[in-house]
Amino acid sequence: MLNVTNLKYEYKNAADLYEYSMTIQAGEIVAILGQSGSGKSTLLDLIAGFLSASSGSIKLDDRDLTNLSVEKRPLTILFQNHNLFEHLTVQKNILLGVSKVLKENIEDVEKVQGILAEVGLEKYEHSLASTLSGGQQQRVALARVLMRREPILLLDEPFTGLDAQTRIQMLDLVKKITIEHNLHTIMVTHEIQDCERIANRVYQMQDHLLVAQ
Amino acid sequence: MRFKSSLIPGGLVSFFLLSFAFLLFFILFISQDQTILTELDPRVWSLLKFTLYQAFLSTLLSVGVGIALAWSLAHQAAFKGRSLLVALFSSSLVLPTLIVVFGLITVLGRNGWVNQLSLYLFDYSFGAYLYGLGGILIAHVYLNASFASRSLLHAFESIPKEKYKLAKSLNFTTFQRFLYVEFPALRSTLLSITSTIFLLCFTSFAIVLVLGGSPSYNTLEVAIYEAVKLDFDISMALKLALIQLSISTLLVIFSANFRDSLTNLKTSHINIPWAEAKSVKRIQVTIITLFALFFVLPLLAIIVDGIGADFSHIFSEALFIKSFLTSIGLATVSSILTVIIAILLSDARRNFTVKHRLSEHKMAKVFSIILAFSGNLYLAIPSLIMGLGFFLLSQRYEAPLVLWSIIALLTANVLMSLPFALSVLSPAMQKTAQRYDKLIFSLNLTKLQRWVYCEYPYLKSSLGYVFALAFCFSLGDLGIIALFGSDDFSTLPWYLYQLMGSYRTEDGAGVALILLAIVLAVFTLLPKLFGGTDAKRNQPKV
Repeated sequence: MLNVTNLKYEYKNAADLYEYSMTIQAGEIVAILGQSGSGKSTLLDLIAGFLSASSGSIKLDDRDLTNLSVEKRPLTILFQNHNLFEHLTVQKNILLGVSKVLKENIEDVEKVQGILAEVGLEKYEHSLASTLSGGQQQRVALARVLMRREPILLLDEPFTGLDAQTRIQMLDLVKKITIEHNLHTIMVTHEIQDCERIANRVYQMQDHLLVAQ
Repeated sequence: MRFKSSLIPGGLVSFFLLSFAFLLFFILFISQDQTILTELDPRVWSLLKFTLYQAFLSTLLSVGVGIALAWSLAHQAAFKGRSLLVALFSSSLVLPTLIVVFGLITVLGRNGWVNQLSLYLFDYSFGAYLYGLGGILIAHVYLNASFASRSLLHAFESIPKEKYKLAKSLNFTTFQRFLYVEFPALRSTLLSITSTIFLLCFTSFAIVLVLGGSPSYNTLEVAIYEAVKLDFDISMALKLALIQLSISTLLVIFSANFRDSLTNLKTSHINIPWAEAKSVKRIQVTIITLFALFFVLPLLAIIVDGIGADFSHIFSEALFIKSFLTSIGLATVSSILTVIIAILLSDARRNFTVKHRLSEHKMAKVFSIILAFSGNLYLAIPSLIMGLGFFLLSQRYEAPLVLWSIIALLTANVLMSLPFALSVLSPAMQKTAQRYDKLIFSLNLTKLQRWVYCEYPYLKSSLGYVFALAFCFSLGDLGIIALFGSDDFSTLPWYLYQLMGSYRTEDGAGVALILLAIVLAVFTLLPKLFGGTDAKRNQPKV
């Protein structure tokens, strides 16, 4: 279980204090709703380690993540843009960060084929990321989630800008992946329909405070 | 976090550069006679006045011509050969000043094309007007108006089409359109280029040295050179250097806020939705044609005269071969050093400007300014003064003069190229960090992986451009070499200057053509060799 307890953050240039508390079970999707600038993405930045909280804690089961650096936190993030390097192939993009050396491990390369089948992109292994559509690019980013096998998945409005049908397909894929791989998924969105479709629970940002709906 | 480690190399480079500047100040200060700062003789006053006067006039004319040219080019997108002209104008940044002077003398000199044509048609010669203030202004306008027009053209093209449509619907005249729509959009670029051009003209050396003619047209830089090289009056040189250094430092500090938007020199073929009246169109076409002739003819003159040179004789000269190899070697090493230092400084600086790094640190702005300033030292310390510092160091600490010359030239070349290198690389590196930092940190990529998969693919054409720029700057500079040049140690510009001084114009034309060919080839081909990928579209266009 992922526990976010009394996590507080104050921007230096604005005197607003943000406060977050929430829990997520493995295999569960929690949606965070709120208007632009309400502090939704700040929560993801705090969980990912891009921002440091002034107080509070983040724990995955018994493991305290609060003071770990970004690279040591067991998570994968999907952003709205720039999830892939356009000049690299799909395979290379998925394998990024799996190994510390430039040369890929043969076992990992073989694994990519199976993962691509899981996200419906089996024929695109050697395509350049720049040649894919927006939906396909986000599928590649999801394939990377499966490759990395980290227990926390953070989604920062990754399907904004996709057409309605692709968006639904992507949401369903996230649901499937979360359940099958027992992920703790947090999805930031401003679309209520997204929450209704896949979220187990919904939180909302109200006056800088995260409130359960 | 891991990005903090990038502070160390960049910080060390910055510390080294600032220490170097301090050492230079120190050596100039301790070497001077204590009384000289308190008294300024009439000769120094007149030098100072003329330096400021020619810089002011040159800036006024360059910016005025630059505005007229950019305005004409912006409104005449269909002008035949426009792209080629714009590309040529951008090459003015790297054209060796001595080549420009050589070309201008061939076209506008006493026996130049214009005078010969005038004599043939009207039996009238304009005489030697090129030597003196007139020549200095013409050469400065040649180099700086084209540079200004390139920057201003981008500002014109960035004006939203809707603003033109609105102005048209309100029945604006051409003048009202300029006043209310175009001028406000040009203002920040104008401040940038005006302050930069003034600094460049204030510290101009080669142009004044060759075209100044008499001592009454000397600037501080040329007077320093003459004091060291001809009069052996180090005390006078120091006095002038300290005055020059104080004023240029003040100018750099004063104009620091204006010099942000110089990097974006991207131009395109945007059609402004405003059909010009015939009379206005005629004016614009005339402006473009006249400036194109003014710009192209000296280059053409170098080619025409150069082709007629006896190249077998030039290549058989041992001093030419020595100068050629020295120039290429120094330019190569300088460009490599420039690229490395620019990367390290930009990498360190982005820690203080990119969100989620140290941008919210209370000292972030101060550190960012220190890092930026250390890369822009050249603007405050012109190369001749740097040369004087090295000259004094060489007298204090014994080592072969050739070694001091190489160190001085490499340092000057790198510092001269760094402001431009940083203005290209810094925004590009900042952009990659803004876009990919979160992804890279969350994927836990190593530094090598980050460089191979992210930084290099996105930066490579910028790196090629910076390398070419630094190479051309180094190859064409006639600054510090004027103090250290000798038969034992010579570069191509110094060799060309010697040829011009001894009236060996035919050989000079050949050497000028060789220099021009190398500069244009490197400037146009090298960035292409570094290649373009899909990542290219994310790069700053320069």
